[in-house]
Amino acid sequence: MELLLLVVVFLPLLTAIGIKIISKFLNELLLNFITINSALLSFATASGMFVLLFINKYEPINLKFFTWITNPEILFEFTLDGLSGVMMLLVTGLSVVIQVFSTSYMSKDEHYAKYFVYFNVFVFSMLLLVMSGNFLVMFFGWELVGLSSYLLISFWSKKQSAAKAGNKAFILNRIGDFGFLIGLMLTLNTFGTFNYDKVFSKVLEGNIDNLTVIVICFIIGAFGKSAQFPLFSWLPDAMEGPTPASALIHAATMVTAGVFMLVRISPILQFSETGKLIVIVTGLLTALIAAFSAINQDDIKKVLAYSTISQLGFMFIAIGSGAYVAAIFHLVTHAFFKALLFLGAGAVIHEMHHEQNIHKMGNLKSKMPITATTMGIGTLAISGIPPLAGFWSKDEILASTFANGGFYYIFWALSLLAAFMTAFYMGRHWLLIFHKDSGNDISDIHEAPKAMVRPLLILGVFSVFIGFINTPFFHGLEKVLHETLHYVEITHLPEGITLIVLAFVSIGAGFTGLVLAYLVYVVEIFSYFKFKIPFKDEILALSANTLYLNKVGDIIFVKGMKSLTRKTAVLIDGLMIDGLVNKISTLFYSSSQKISTSQNGLIRSYVVYFGFFMLLLIGLFIATPLVVN
Amino acid sequence: MIEVSTDWYLTLAAILFSIGFLGMMIRKNALIMFMCIELMLNSVNLTFIAASRHFGTIEGQISVFFVLVVASAEVVVGLAIIVSIFKKQSSASVDLLRTIRG
Repeated sequence: MELLLLVVVFLPLLTAIGIKIISKFLNELLLNFITINSALLSFATASGMFVLLFINKYEPINLKFFTWITNPEILFEFTLDGLSGVMMLLVTGLSVVIQVFSTSYMSKDEHYAKYFVYFNVFVFSMLLLVMSGNFLVMFFGWELVGLSSYLLISFWSKKQSAAKAGNKAFILNRIGDFGFLIGLMLTLNTFGTFNYDKVFSKVLEGNIDNLTVIVICFIIGAFGKSAQFPLFSWLPDAMEGPTPASALIHAATMVTAGVFMLVRISPILQFSETGKLIVIVTGLLTALIAAFSAINQDDIKKVLAYSTISQLGFMFIAIGSGAYVAAIFHLVTHAFFKALLFLGAGAVIHEMHHEQNIHKMGNLKSKMPITATTMGIGTLAISGIPPLAGFWSKDEILASTFANGGFYYIFWALSLLAAFMTAFYMGRHWLLIFHKDSGNDISDIHEAPKAMVRPLLILGVFSVFIGFINTPFFHGLEKVLHETLHYVEITHLPEGITLIVLAFVSIGAGFTGLVLAYLVYVVEIFSYFKFKIPFKDEILALSANTLYLNKVGDIIFVKGMKSLTRKTAVLIDGLMIDGLVNKISTLFYSSSQKISTSQNGLIRSYVVYFGFFMLLLIGLFIATPLVVN
Repeated sequence: MIEVSTDWYLTLAAILFSIGFLGMMIRKNALIMFMCIELMLNSVNLTFIAASRHFGTIEGQISVFFVLVVASAEVVVGLAIIVSIFKKQSSASVDLLRTIRG
C-alpha cells in the first residue's frame, strides 16, 4: 500500500516528462486530456491514501524508497501523517482545479505544452516537499519548488519584467535557502540524522545546546519561501507569471512551504521562545506592512499578492503563538479562497484583454455575474465574515494569540488591525472591479468561458464550507494533526464567553472594514463631506510603494553592493592582483632589456667574457685545495 | 750555459696563448683572428708536449695529434666561411657582422 505514495508524488513528474517528450505530437485537447487525467488520478490516489490514513487513526505511514547516502545513513524516505496528508490533498486537489482553468486561460499560447510541463514539475516538487520523511528530502523538494516557481514566474521570458521578476524571486529565495542549508548542517552535526522522528525524539530527550540557532536558521528559510518581512518583495513581482500559475504559487505550493516546514519542525520550535517570538513579530510586521501596501495598489493581481503576504503573516502569527493547528487551518482555507480570487482575477484579466488596472474596470458584475459572485464569496471569506471559511481560521488565530496572555494582547490587537485592513482593501478591490461604475466602456465584456467558470464555482463552494473542518464545535483538523503534533504543546482556544466575545470582535473588524471600503470608494464619503485627510497623498504614496522598502533595499543592497564590488575590483583586483602580476612582468622585461645589451654582436666582447670566466675558473682551481680521493 | 727547463716551454706557451687571446680581443679582421686561434691552439700543443716530456708519459703527445687533426679540419671550414664573408661584404671585418645582438 505504501507504494501508492510513490504514485501520488511521482505521477506529476512522469506526466511532465511524458508531455515534454511527445509534445510535438500533441494538440491542446490531447494534452489537456493527459495532464488533467493524470492530476485527477494523483488526486484520487491521494484521497485513497488519506482514507487509509483515517482508518489507521492517522498513524504515520513511512516509506523507505531507497538509501540515498550510506554514511551517515540517509534514506530517500517519505512519510504520510496527518500534516502531509492534508497538504497532499490540498496540492493535488488544487492542481486539478487550476489545471482545468489553465486549459482555457493558456489556450493558444505558443508555449502551451511547456506551461503544463512546468506546472507538473511544480506540483511534483511541492509533493516531494510535503511528503518528505526527512530534512534532506524536504530540502530537495524545497529547492525544486524554488526552481519551478522561477520557471513559471518568468514563463513569458520575452518580457523583460517577467525575466527580472523570476530572477528576483529566485535570488530572494536563495537568502532563505541559505538559512535552511545552515540549519540542515547544524541538524546533522547535532543529531547525526535527518529523520524527523529521530531528531524530534532526541530533542524531547534532553537539552540541546544550539537549539535556538538551529530553529532560527530554519525560520530564515521559512521567511524566504513564505515571503515574510524583509524577504517578501519578490511575491508582488511574481505577478508577471501566468495568472493560474500565480494561483498555484499563492494557494497550494511555494509560499505555504515555509508555514508547512515550521509546523513540521514544531517539536523543535516549541522549545525556543526566542524563535517563536521572532516568528510572531515578523509575522505581525509582515501582515501589517502588506495589508497597508495593498490599500493603494492599482494592479488587480498586486492587491491579491499583498493580501497573500498579509495572510501568510497571519499564519506565522499563529505559529509564533503556538497555534500550529490554526496555522495549517488558515493555510487550507486561505488556499481555497486565494485560489478562487486569483482564478477570478485571471478570468477578469482574460475578458478585459489583459488589462490589469482596477481603475479601468468597474461595474463588471452586470457582465460577469458568476465571476463577480464567486469573487465576492472569496472577498467575504478572506475578510472573515461568518460562516465562510476565512472567519473560522482567522478567528482561531486571533483567539489563540489572545489566549497566550501577557504582551500577546498587544499582538492580538495588532493582528486585529491587520484583519480590519484586510477587509478594507479586499472590499475596495471587489467594489472597484465589479460594483462601482467608473465610466469605462465595458460593452464588449462577457462572462468567462465554462472551463474558467467551473473551477471558480468549485472553489466558491469550498470557500464557503471548508471552514467547517475545524470549528470550536468540531475539531476535525485538530484530530487529523493530533498524531503529528503529538509531543507539541498547542495553545488552545479560550473557553466560553471569551471566545464568543473575541469572535464578535473579529467579525466586527471585518465587517467595519468592508463597510468602510464601501463608504470610501463607492459613496465617496470624504469628498461628499469635503473632508480632507491630513497627509493623504503621502500615505497613499507610501502604501503604493510598500513603505519604499524596495527603494531602501535597492540603495542598501543593490547600489551598496555595486559600489562595494566596484571598489573591490579597483582595489583588490586592479591594484593588488593585477598590479603584482604587471610588476613582475615589467621587472623581467626591464632587466632582460638591460642584460641583452651585453649581447652586442661583437665577437671580441664575447671573447672578453670568455676570458674573464676562464680566469675565474682558473682562479677557482687554484683557490680550492686539491682533493685526492 | 742556461738549462732549458720545462718552465721555459710553459712560459713560452703562456706568452703565445696571451698573444693569441689579445689578438682575438683587439683585432677585427677575421683572417687575423683565425690566425690568433691557431696560435692559441699551438701554444696548448706546446704545453702538452712539454708536460709529456716532463713526466715521461705518452698521453700528452697523443692529445697533440688530436688537436692537430681538429685544427686542420677547422681550418678547412673556417677559411671557407671567411671567404664567403669576404665575398658578401668585400671586407673581412667581423664588426660588420652584428646582426645577432640583443
